Amino acid sequence: MVRNKLYVLVSTACAAGYIWLFLNYQRSVSDSIEPGVCLFKRLTGIPCPSCGSTRSVLSLLKGDFIGALISNPFGLIILSILILAPLWILYDIVLQKDSLLQVYNRTEIFLRRKWIALPLILLVILNWIWNMYKGL
Amino acid sequence: MESQKVDMFIMTNAKYFESYQINAIRERLIAIDDSRWAMISTIQLKDPTTSLIVSVLAGHFGIDRFIIGDTGLGIAKLLTCGGLGIWTIIDWFLIMGVTREKNMQAIQQLLY
Repeated sequence: MVRNKLYVLVSTACAAGYIWLFLNYQRSVSDSIEPGVCLFKRLTGIPCPSCGSTRSVLSLLKGDFIGALISNPFGLIILSILILAPLWILYDIVLQKDSLLQVYNRTEIFLRRKWIALPLILLVILNWIWNMYKGL
Repeated sequence: MESQKVDMFIMTNAKYFESYQINAIRERLIAIDDSRWAMISTIQLKDPTTSLIVSVLAGHFGIDRFIIGDTGLGIAKLLTCGGLGIWTIIDWFLIMGVTREKNMQAIQQLLY
């Protein structure tokens, strides 16, 4: 991955994430219609592993930590990326470094190891089963 | 290397690369030393068709990106419901080209 390509990708994703959050925040204040954009859920009726993460991030923003965990633990990861990534990119641009790229590449290699990847895959599947059980 | 060997390699592996890259690979293979043949003939290349099938069936969870080695993007796709479903659909069209680019990167490490 080239430095600038990664940075453009991450900042676009973060911007999209913030717009999505803003739209859903307004909706959740005015009325309580559930966001239902998930393609997989629309097609099969079964929630996907990351269904409920918008609700989770919104609960986190309101300070409801337990509610966020119950909605979907992925929300914690997503919110921390949403907060950290733009600051990190800004830091790299101002100081003309590529620390985010280096960390990204090292994390990719780290996650590809069998003994790291297998438990993580298992966790995602367990979370998915939990999602179906909750009926998100 | 002998052009016969190189042509055989190109014929069996042409589907793994973009068509415009094949000429460059062929010329480079002819230019390099015979001792690297063992490494090059056993290189693991990913089939673009397989990644397209995976993308259509499980692209929503980012599995296609994991398979071609883009672990970071795979996680991003998994966490965001396949980029709210939009990225999933875009990747149906992109994934074959990306796979070929990854194959090119893999063989380039051996060629240069």
